[in-house]
Amino acid sequence: MILTIPHQQRLPLAIAALGFLFLGLFLLYPLFNVFSASVLDGEGEKFTFANYVKILGRPFYRGAVANTLMIGVVATLTTIVVSVPFAFALARLPVPGKAAIIALAAMPLVLPSFVSAYAIVLLLGRAGVVTQWLNSWGIGFGSIYGAGGIILVYTLTLYPYVLLPTMAGFKAVDVSIEEAAQSLGSSPRRALWTVTLPIVVPSILAGGLLVFIETLENFGVPFVLAEDMPIFAVEAFKLFVGETAPNPSSAGVLGVLLILMTSLVLLIQRRFLANRRFATGARSAPPILKVGLGLRIAATIYCWSVVLLALVPFFAIVVLSFMEFRGPVLHPNFSTANFAALFERSTRPLLNTLMFATLAAIGVTLIGVPIAYVVTRLRSGLAAVLDVLATLPFAVAGTVLAIGFVVSFNSGWLILTGGPFIMVLAYTVRKIPFAVRSSSGILHQIDPSLEEASISLGRSPLQTFGRILVPLMLGGIMSGFVLTWVTIASELSATVVLYSGQWRTLTVVMFQALEGGGGGIATAAASTLIVVTLVPIALLYRLIRRYELAS
Amino acid sequence: MTGIVIEGVARTFGTVRAVDGVNLTIGEGEFFTLLGPSGCGKTTLLRMIAGFCDLDAGQIRFGTKRIDTLPAHTRDIGMVFQNYAVFPNLAVAGNVAYGLKARKVSAAEVAHRVEEALSLVQLGGYGERWPHQLSGGQLQRVAIARALVIRPQVLLFDEPLSNLDARLRVSMRAEIRELQKSLGITAIYVTHDQEEAMSVSDRIALMQSGKLEQVGAPAEIYRNPASRFAAEFMGTTNLLEPKVLGLSGAAMISLRPEALRLDAEAPAGWPRLSGVVAHVEILGPITRFDVRLGDGSLIRVASLDEPHRTLATGAQVTLAYDRARVTVLP
Ligand SMILES: Nc1ncnc2c1ncn2[C@@H]1O[C@H](COP(=O)(O)OP(=O)(O)OP(=O)(O)O)[C@@H](O)[C@H]1O
Ligand SMILES: [Mg+2]
Repeated sequence: MILTIPHQQRLPLAIAALGFLFLGLFLLYPLFNVFSASVLDGEGEKFTFANYVKILGRPFYRGAVANTLMIGVVATLTTIVVSVPFAFALARLPVPGKAAIIALAAMPLVLPSFVSAYAIVLLLGRAGVVTQWLNSWGIGFGSIYGAGGIILVYTLTLYPYVLLPTMAGFKAVDVSIEEAAQSLGSSPRRALWTVTLPIVVPSILAGGLLVFIETLENFGVPFVLAEDMPIFAVEAFKLFVGETAPNPSSAGVLGVLLILMTSLVLLIQRRFLANRRFATGARSAPPILKVGLGLRIAATIYCWSVVLLALVPFFAIVVLSFMEFRGPVLHPNFSTANFAALFERSTRPLLNTLMFATLAAIGVTLIGVPIAYVVTRLRSGLAAVLDVLATLPFAVAGTVLAIGFVVSFNSGWLILTGGPFIMVLAYTVRKIPFAVRSSSGILHQIDPSLEEASISLGRSPLQTFGRILVPLMLGGIMSGFVLTWVTIASELSATVVLYSGQWRTLTVVMFQALEGGGGGIATAAASTLIVVTLVPIALLYRLIRRYELAS
Repeated sequence: MTGIVIEGVARTFGTVRAVDGVNLTIGEGEFFTLLGPSGCGKTTLLRMIAGFCDLDAGQIRFGTKRIDTLPAHTRDIGMVFQNYAVFPNLAVAGNVAYGLKARKVSAAEVAHRVEEALSLVQLGGYGERWPHQLSGGQLQRVAIARALVIRPQVLLFDEPLSNLDARLRVSMRAEIRELQKSLGITAIYVTHDQEEAMSVSDRIALMQSGKLEQVGAPAEIYRNPASRFAAEFMGTTNLLEPKVLGLSGAAMISLRPEALRLDAEAPAGWPRLSGVVAHVEILGPITRFDVRLGDGSLIRVASLDEPHRTLATGAQVTLAYDRARVTVLP
């Protein structure tokens, strides 16, 4: 049998087989169990659609669907409205400090969004610092709990998903295209609307769909801000934790519905956007437009406000974590008591966070990079299937995957519940799509003839992978590793389902403190999380800078 | 050093027959070129020999040893790529040493052979340089040194000069030919440039649509093209109906432009034709001009520059041609 497989395909096929094995066991199998839980009765024996009927028959859960979709749509629109002018200003207008703006604008992508939500509560909530200060002046404002607050936090934390690709899109429009439109008689303004903007639309939509999917899957932000409003991911979690029957059928139903929604969006994205990239192969970057002083000042203020506003909540949390809390009530005195309280019981949560993030980031790299190699180098349907499978975790909310893990690995031949590895594995599966995307981006840039040269000089395909591809990809692999590490450190949605006993992480500590009203410990945990996130990112920046200066 | 035997080799991509039943025997130490227009299957055939493309049918042998079933990295081939494929993460010496290290050659010998190979391609002392510090021509020399240093049984070149400028192409092709001859390694060279093929090759295989059109020494194919395609692809020619030259028969004939001369410059025994000058190009060493004959057909003529000759568009001229150089095409 093996003799019929061409030599140059054996390595990719072997990797693909391992990839299918891993994703089959730790992605498809848990998802299948979620699905079967949803179509079996409470005892887990008879096939039935009764669960669906039961859940969808309840106005409460129909409300959850409606709320989640409504918040997702509105938040997507607000991020687009905020980001497109921002992107245009960065690409085409004379705004001072662009490099700093771009660096700062990327920060919300790695900082935990539920920390931002919590900061909003501490600042603008019922007993919030700003609320009370305004009240003392006799000024009141509407509640930030519910849809309004959630949409605000989503806009502030997810806007870079639209900003960054749209800015790249504006920069990739070849100047000659606008010039052509103008030479055909368009005014510069009309050329902008009729030529430039349509070219950028696919980038905007691609970013917008990412935002939409993130909002559907997000657990932490609605958990902090929704209060009585039912939101999908939160209700799935509550149902699962509350369900006592051996078969978590109701949570399963919500999980399946959530996966259906996200996959649908992802499918739309693949189907309509994948091939609609108007790459114009910009040879000459478009010029910075000459505009009047007024517009220039307005653009500058706008860009800096958005960037800073998005970071204010994180900054506020750090400041607040050094103040005195009595229960949930804040007193404006400097104090390190919160950190003392956080760490005196145990430093285990911090250590767990660091250890899990490291193990999972290693796992993601070791699995994601080879899969990217197969996806880019093997021309066959198998590679396409693997590509889809490796993208699938992106469409699965952390809560749902975690429920699948618990159902799949709490009995039988592989028991993982109660231990640390179930968390590490869930993180690994969740972040594989990002590793595969970023590595295949790098691999596309590496000429395959380098590999052929190495092979014809006598190195086997496996040795070639290690000696040529890995060194060439090293920079990209390292930044991917750091970004994965950082986002795993602040993972909440799968963590709260999977943690147990001594394997609590910082996010769990914060989550429990929020539930119990321990504001001091929550802020201290959030601050620690911010530091844990920013230190590796800063190191990475320095490393990249030094590398760029050296070469 | 080995001869290569290619027997009934074929490969189809979808509906495209990239290589369609090719049979070839290449002698030991021969410099053999695959020549043909874009998409005719040259690269595919070369990559089959290298092991990067599977055969649908047929077999390839080095001497008596069948190699098309071996993995690429065990075939002992030196390959030079169009885009150099110099490893950017290794210095020049690291690149050249790469294949030797794969063969577990001792460190002392690696150093010695790398230096030797680099001076062979006139890059002595460049070992410490990084690829991004080299010019295109130097990169291609590194790629050649890297392929030579392993003393492979066979050297393969896929359009190695097409990324270089015209002058460098001419000097590098002479260097490649000289190196190959001095080392005696059997070489297969792919190009779509007819002049390059003629200047370096012992023999040429002219390919079209995956098939061999004609195989032979460069001058042989040039002087006796076996088909209309061969006549046209190997330089410029006049494809004429026999009756234009007052001959009989149905087959087309080919008459190279340099087989024609002006009446005054030609030997007395050559047949004459008369017409009107339609176009003149003085290119320096040679002058090209077109003459429209009485029956309307256009004939291209090329002759060496001649200071006392005047040729003006519209002038009436008489041409003479060498009857021995008329080729009747099948
Ligand atoms: N991997 C492939 N998949 C599909 N078709 C291919 C593949 N490789 C080659 N072909 C097709 O096979 C034919 C021969 O290609 P090949 O690269 O051998 O041509 P070539 O003679 O080297 O041309 P060029 O001078 O342009 O390099 C072409 O029609 C090409 O499109
Ligand atoms: Mg080719």
